[in-house]
Amino acid sequence: MRCGLRRRMPGLAAAALLAAATGCGERGAGRFLPGASARLVVVAGSENKELEPILQRFARRERVVLDIRYKGSVEMMLDLEQGRANEADVVWPAHSMWISLGDIHKVVRHAESILHSPIVFGVKRSVAQRLGWLDREVTVADILAAAEGGRLRFAMTSATQSNSGAQGYLGFLHALAGSPDVLLMEHLEDAAVQRKTARLLQQVNRSSGSSGWLKDLVVERYDQFDAMVNYEAMVIEANRELTAKGLEPMVAVYPADGLAIADSPMGYIDKGDAAREAAFRALQAHLKSPAIQQEILSLGRRAGIVGLDASAVDRRVFNPEWGIDVARVISPVPVPAEPVLRRALELYQEGGLRKPSATVYCLDFSGSMKGEGEAQIKQAMRLLLDREQARRFLLQPSGRDLHLVIPFDRAPRRVAEARGNDPAELGRLLADIDATHAEGGTDIYAAVQQALQALAERRISSDYSVAVLLMTDGRSQGDDGALRQALHGRETAVPVFGITFGEASDSQVKRIAALTGARVFDGRSGLVQAFRHAKGYN
Amino acid sequence: MKNFLLIVLAVAVAALALFAMAPRRPAADAGRTRPAGPLRTVSLYVGGEKMKFLENPETRRLLAERHGLSLHAVKAGSIEMVRDLDLAGKDALWPSNDIAVEFFRMRGAKARATDIAFNSPIVIYTGWNIANALIREGLVEKRDDGYYIVRFADLLAMCQERRKWKDLGLNFFGTVSVRSTDPSRSNSGNMFAGLVANMMNGADVVDERRVEALLPRLQAFFSPMGLMEHSSEDIFLKFIATGVNNSMIVGYENQLVEFLLAHPENREAILSSVCVLYPLPTVWSSHPIIALTENGQRLIDAMRDGEIQDLAWRRHGFRSGLAGVSQNPAVLNIPFVPETIESVIPLPSARAMDRIVQALSAPR
Repeated sequence: MRCGLRRRMPGLAAAALLAAATGCGERGAGRFLPGASARLVVVAGSENKELEPILQRFARRERVVLDIRYKGSVEMMLDLEQGRANEADVVWPAHSMWISLGDIHKVVRHAESILHSPIVFGVKRSVAQRLGWLDREVTVADILAAAEGGRLRFAMTSATQSNSGAQGYLGFLHALAGSPDVLLMEHLEDAAVQRKTARLLQQVNRSSGSSGWLKDLVVERYDQFDAMVNYEAMVIEANRELTAKGLEPMVAVYPADGLAIADSPMGYIDKGDAAREAAFRALQAHLKSPAIQQEILSLGRRAGIVGLDASAVDRRVFNPEWGIDVARVISPVPVPAEPVLRRALELYQEGGLRKPSATVYCLDFSGSMKGEGEAQIKQAMRLLLDREQARRFLLQPSGRDLHLVIPFDRAPRRVAEARGNDPAELGRLLADIDATHAEGGTDIYAAVQQALQALAERRISSDYSVAVLLMTDGRSQGDDGALRQALHGRETAVPVFGITFGEASDSQVKRIAALTGARVFDGRSGLVQAFRHAKGYN
Repeated sequence: MKNFLLIVLAVAVAALALFAMAPRRPAADAGRTRPAGPLRTVSLYVGGEKMKFLENPETRRLLAERHGLSLHAVKAGSIEMVRDLDLAGKDALWPSNDIAVEFFRMRGAKARATDIAFNSPIVIYTGWNIANALIREGLVEKRDDGYYIVRFADLLAMCQERRKWKDLGLNFFGTVSVRSTDPSRSNSGNMFAGLVANMMNGADVVDERRVEALLPRLQAFFSPMGLMEHSSEDIFLKFIATGVNNSMIVGYENQLVEFLLAHPENREAILSSVCVLYPLPTVWSSHPIIALTENGQRLIDAMRDGEIQDLAWRRHGFRSGLAGVSQNPAVLNIPFVPETIESVIPLPSARAMDRIVQALSAPR
């Protein structure tokens, strides 16, 4: 130990504290605070889930507690705007633009890239072959043509909730605007650019708020997808799972004029705690150490001291058979200036560029919801249907969205409807919800049946991004038999997302979600936030 | 007797004068006996490129043992810290630009003292694929000593003519460009804007009268960079992570020196990936400490310590700010560092730079 001061301070703890305060301790050596411990709340992008064991191994060895939570990069940006009030100590979004935009209070320190991964089109091999894409340069115009010709169904996360969707979207915009030096406001306001972008996004056959979850869904229901926009690392992960199941892999297509790369920066939110900061520096140094970078590389993420050393990669992971191209120069389209970036996201969400959503809210108004639960439902719906509130989370409705609300208890009570984003019409829907009161039993299955029927009656087709949001707090009577009947033989189910509250049976909503290719959000520590997350999936 | 006394007096005065004029005592003695008592904390904003030097345990040890100081340094852009940020509780500002001192004064604020601690020239970082293409075009040359220069006027012309990377035989989309940090928030971008302005002015230092006419061309030059980083460290680290083979960025000479010294086991990998181009002409980035309080003054004193200066060069590539001290590149054992900087142009006047910063300030 080169720290001279240490010899003078009595007591191990005092010395350790001082060591932390003066930063004594070797970068990368891993012994940062013998005898002490720190707890770090780490908020990370879902695409990093496979790396969690690496972080927890470090945590066990160094006696640090890492409370790792996964969030979308855009939400991380919004949280950063809170400055030190952010629950997170460590922020790890998929791209540094979200730190640049969110860190208005300048609390983020030591932000450094841990790994990087290009955003690619992962296309089922047979589809890529059919399209003639296997051995040539593919542009965004080619993708648009294939999608419009009905020859390419692709999944992509929401550009306003998830980084892979955002970067994919910015890449499309850039290319469709004619590849300018950088995207400017005039390009966004150009009707032709808007039209072409909308036409491309109309071909998305599944949205998601999470890149990692989208990959899982595509792997699980592979027959329903031709392609997905996601990180190269997610395509590699997916392919390992697909080939293990004996299914054909996806081929990575790098849109030549719409390239983007996620640089995965990990930063520290400074709240003045020296012990936590020392723990962060040690964690970051560990992740950037040569051995761990090699391990990260083996998991299909690009890593290494400078860019990617193509000679160091394992070709069973960065598999050329899967179109993975480590020799290609990935020159990303420049990130636009902040006002342009924000306007682009606004156009996507509210300006009609994204595929319209058709959402059915099945809201449990059984007796047990009286009081707190009822209040939270109403608050959550207000957040989603009131433009100004929704706007804060980039969830505002667009002019073509469809909103159906089905309050239920032992039976569905009615189907209330609003179309578009006219404040008066949405206001009426909200007033209807506010006037609804909790009483009675619970049957979620009847409610979901009603939801599916309501969608069928309105002939809601794949022109919409459809979802049912089922919020419930109780054990439901009935069973899923009729629902299974209804789903049997249908190629694509309408995804039924669960939002649980109170005494809700996780298993019931989980089964429905699993049947329909959806997921469950725990609303027990806050219904509003759970609704917000769920809404990001269509 | 009177003559004798006069001689004694003269000798005494002369001795006093010599003593007062003598340069600060060299390394070994300076600050050896530090002030007694607990460490004084110096709270400061500092340009990101100095963070690693300040976090070096050796630096901290020298500051504590020889000067009784402990630093609480918060990274901030050089321009931000003198124009926008709240200075309450701060003992010092340590930007990377002498012009920042002028901006500080122009805002009506008073410094207790200012002193240039270090210097580092502005350079351009890129990958070897791009450097070799520019060698083929005749813009880049290798000097006998082993370092590379780039004719900056020609490079600027190439950017303004919107030549494509593909025109240079490189296999990726886009127009030849040099990226920098946001000139209105960060020093390296700010200095680069000054350099570009001078070169647009026919390699003549821009003053208040000439600057207006240049602003539209300057805006046109910086606008294609899109979202610009706020700190020189950020742009450098992002370049290292994902930008080496597809971009050219503005940085300080000391950034790559420091990076190499921090990763000795990756020396070959780094040297074979990254090329540093010394622009002809370039601009000096001086690192002045603006002391706001007595603790800030102590920081100034500490940074003049020869041992700390030596550490700054040896481990972080900062050239000394002390007059008469020259740098020995052999100490670094890095092939691309010149002993002296060939061609330097002064920055535009402070008022001209102020107009430039205003014109390039992105709407928030």
